[in-house]
Order: sequence, then C-alpha cells, then structure tokens
Amino acid sequence: MNNLVFGKYIPIDSLMHKLDPRAKLIGLFLMIAAVFVPKSWWVFLVIALVLTVALLFAKIGIKMIVQSFKPMIMMMIFLLVINSLTVKTGDVMFMIGGFAVYKDAVFNTLFVVVRLLLMISITTLLTATTNPLDLTLGIEWLLKPLEAVHFPAHEVAMMVSIALRFIPTIIEETMRIMNAQKSRGVDFENGRLSEKISAILSLIVPLFSVAFERAYELADAMEARGYVPGVKRTRYHVLKFSFRDFLFIFICVLILAFSIASRFYL
Amino acid sequence: MSLIEIKNVSFSYNETKKAVNDVSFDVEQGSYVTVIGHNGSGKSTLAKLIAGLLPVKEGKILIDGKEVNEENISSMRTRLGIVFQNPDNQFIGSTVRDDIAFGLENKLVKSEDMDAIIDEYAKKVGLEAFLNYEPQNLSGGQKQRVAIAGILAMKPDIIIFDEATSMLDPKGKKEIKKLMYDLASGDDITIISITHDIEEVLQSDDCVVLNKGKLFMHDKPEEVFRNPEKLRQIELDVPFIEKVREAFAKHKIKLNADDLKGMVDELCRSSSKH
Repeated sequence: MNNLVFGKYIPIDSLMHKLDPRAKLIGLFLMIAAVFVPKSWWVFLVIALVLTVALLFAKIGIKMIVQSFKPMIMMMIFLLVINSLTVKTGDVMFMIGGFAVYKDAVFNTLFVVVRLLLMISITTLLTATTNPLDLTLGIEWLLKPLEAVHFPAHEVAMMVSIALRFIPTIIEETMRIMNAQKSRGVDFENGRLSEKISAILSLIVPLFSVAFERAYELADAMEARGYVPGVKRTRYHVLKFSFRDFLFIFICVLILAFSIASRFYL
Repeated sequence: MSLIEIKNVSFSYNETKKAVNDVSFDVEQGSYVTVIGHNGSGKSTLAKLIAGLLPVKEGKILIDGKEVNEENISSMRTRLGIVFQNPDNQFIGSTVRDDIAFGLENKLVKSEDMDAIIDEYAKKVGLEAFLNYEPQNLSGGQKQRVAIAGILAMKPDIIIFDEATSMLDPKGKKEIKKLMYDLASGDDITIISITHDIEEVLQSDDCVVLNKGKLFMHDKPEEVFRNPEKLRQIELDVPFIEKVREAFAKHKIKLNADDLKGMVDELCRSSSKH
C-alpha cells in the first residue's frame, strides 16, 4: 500500500502547501485545461518548465513525480499499439514483421502521452501538497453552488472526510482478520483460483460485517453529539483567501491564456 | 423532582422478546448511578433510550420534568452526552482537535471561539499535548478521553458511559475510571454508567440491576451486595469483600465493616476477646 505514490500527501511545509486548497483546486482545473488545448510541442515545454518551478516551490523531488508515472506505462503501450494499427499517414518510420509503423502514429502517441504525464504531474502536485481534509473542504466549497439544486455538498464532504479518517482503521482491521484467518489455516498466497477466491471471501465477509457494525455505532455517536444531516452547522476550519492565492490563480490563468493563444499564433 | 424519571419504559427490537420490559427508576441531580446486569439484560438498550438514540414507544422518560419526544430530542441532546464502548467507532474527526470540534460545530459555536474551548477540555482530560494526533496514533484509553473531552465541551449535565472501559487495557481502564470519579464528585454532572466492573459499582451512589430486561434491584450498592444469594440467582458476580463476609458468616462470624482493613480490625478484636 505504501509504494502507491499517486494521490499521496507529503506532510512538509512549503509555499505550495500554504496555498488555500480552493486556489489549488481552481489552479488544477485551469492547468489541466491548459494542457488540453495546445497543438504545439513548444507549449508543453513551457508548461513543463512552469511545473518544475512549482515543484521546487513545493519541495517535492522529481523522483516522486517519475514514480507516479509508473501505473501509466501499460496504458502508454496500449495507446501506441492502437495508434500504430489505425494511423496510416506520414512517412513509414520502421517495419515490424512486415507491418509498417507510420511516423504520425508514433508522434500522435507521444503527444497524447506527454499530455497525460503533464496531467498526472499537475494532479500529483495538488495531492502531495494538500492535506486530504483541506482538499475535502476545498471540494465542498466548489460544490456549494450546487446546493441551490439541493445537492448535499456538506454531507458529501462529511462522508469523504469520515472515509479518509477510517482508511487506516480499516487497513489495520484487514491485517488483523487476515492474521486470524491464517492462524486458522487459510492460505492467501498459494492454491488454485477457486481456493484463492474462498480465501479472499473469508477475509471480505467479516470485514464487511465489522464495517457495518462500525457504521451503525459511528452514526449513533454522531447523532448523540448533536449531528443532524442537512441542518446548519458552524465550521472549525475556515478557509481564507490571501494575496498569494489570487497571485497563484492569476499565474494559472496566464498559462491557460498563453496555451489558448498558441493555437492561433503558433 | 428527580432529574431523570424513567416510567414504565419498554422496548423491543422484534415482536417476540422485549429487550427492556417495564423499567421504572429515578436518577437524582448530581448523582452517580451504575447499571449492571448480564449481556442481553437490556442495559445498552436502556442507555440508548435515555440518550434518545432509540424512540421511547412504551412508557415515558422525563428529563427535568419534561417528556423526551421526537420534537424536543435535539435540544435535549445538548444536555446529554454518551460515551460508547468502542474507542474507534466514536472518533469522528481526523485529529483530536477536530474530534472535539465536531460537537461544537453541531452546537453552532463560532469558529473563532472553538480553539479556547478545545484547549480547555483537552487539558481537563490531560490530552493538551496530543491535540494534533490522529486516532491511529492514540491508545484506547486516550481515544476514550478524547470522547469524554468532546462531550464535556458541549457542557452537558448528564453523561452516560456505556461500558466505556470494557475494551481498554488495565492502564486505560484506570485512567478513565479516575476521570469518571472526578466528574462524579462534582454536583453539576449526573453520571449513569453501564458497567461490568464491580469495584466501580461500589464507588457509585446508586445501583440498578437489570435482568432479562426487567428491573431486578435498585438500591445503594452496599445494599445490593448485601444479598449475594440474590445476585447469584441471576449469575452476577459479587465483590471480593462480600465473598469474604460470606465465607466468615459460614463459620458463624459476623463482620460488619465496609472495607477489608475494617474487617481485619474486627477479626483481631473478636479473637483477642477469646
């Protein structure tokens, strides 16, 4: 579980960490749009440079970003194969067993891959520098306008934050049940598929049963402490925009503008 | 008038068996009441009924002379806190600080006032150094203390402990019991504690014994334990001191003292007379 880099929060203190989560979320959307619009390699290079500067500000090593690309390798190979089979324009670049691979196929794939990698880097930058709970608060703020059409933004945010709070508890529980079942002779690693399925079932069934029990008890505890869904509450964490947040959003807007302009002038 | 009046309350989860069957008793302002009984005797159901987590369909529960019903339950809730058995399943916030804030948010306390309140009650339960800790880095006893702080911060006048120490290690148990006795020693907080801990019962002002959903006994703890035979009928344990008293009674030696030291003195006096 620990080698999963994508979406992991790095609890250090940096300029990027200090930004308001709402500003970072807005920035994320602007930057992703900026990555989607251009048709020129030059724009990607500029965005990559800006990202590198942002990473320096966030005190996040390039190594972590590279690691976050790992899960994408299979997808890139898949893209290359599909593109090679379908795109038949441009010069023939090379032949594989009598099958011609065209230049456009390779370049189109590379273009999409770079686009994806930039998007992943931007998202990793957000999740690595924003505490999940602050992120929840930011998302709640973004969803707030939907409350006009009776979308329960606060309740959704509450659900997400409770889910985040219980992840370590549930992992601990999974380990405990696994050990308990192992001590009763269940083998999780070896055996035929059917045996493996029954082993996993012996883990899943108690895990679910305990999770439901927890949910009921937690609901009681919340109710007893005066929580009524849909009723107005005050908030302990109050987000405040400051000058640097506006500056950050402004920079992101500039990059998006540059990227849109590039389609007309480059 | 008593603070809490429970009048002929019954409750059943299904049609065949009543979990609580026609129970009536009063709880005085500022008192410390323990509720004992076997698993399935209806203790926890009774606690949930008093806390308003289950609807009272048969009978009445009155707090300060006012009947608790669907309409006033949310205002009653701010007067009443409940600490549950499992330390993990009542930790709502992501840190100690956030968990204490949870109840304050529901009580519409202004966000700028919260930090002072949080600090005050964290100090009261001795967790001022742990405010930014996440639940997985706290012991069971510490988590229960957070739960108590969260409830105290809402300034209730009644706190129900529903087997709050039964999942803790001996150290945690000791800490929570000490905290409970401290709270009970004041007059402003009324405590109802559901427990299996006989030693705790001896510290309380009043003891309610439930058996199969029915009120079996309601008396001062000393009086309850003066009847070891009656308790054994429903397979409840008797405190060590009562076992000693009983053992000597079999040899026609009557001891009246309330603690072991007193009994030893009594024995020495009677043997020196011979």
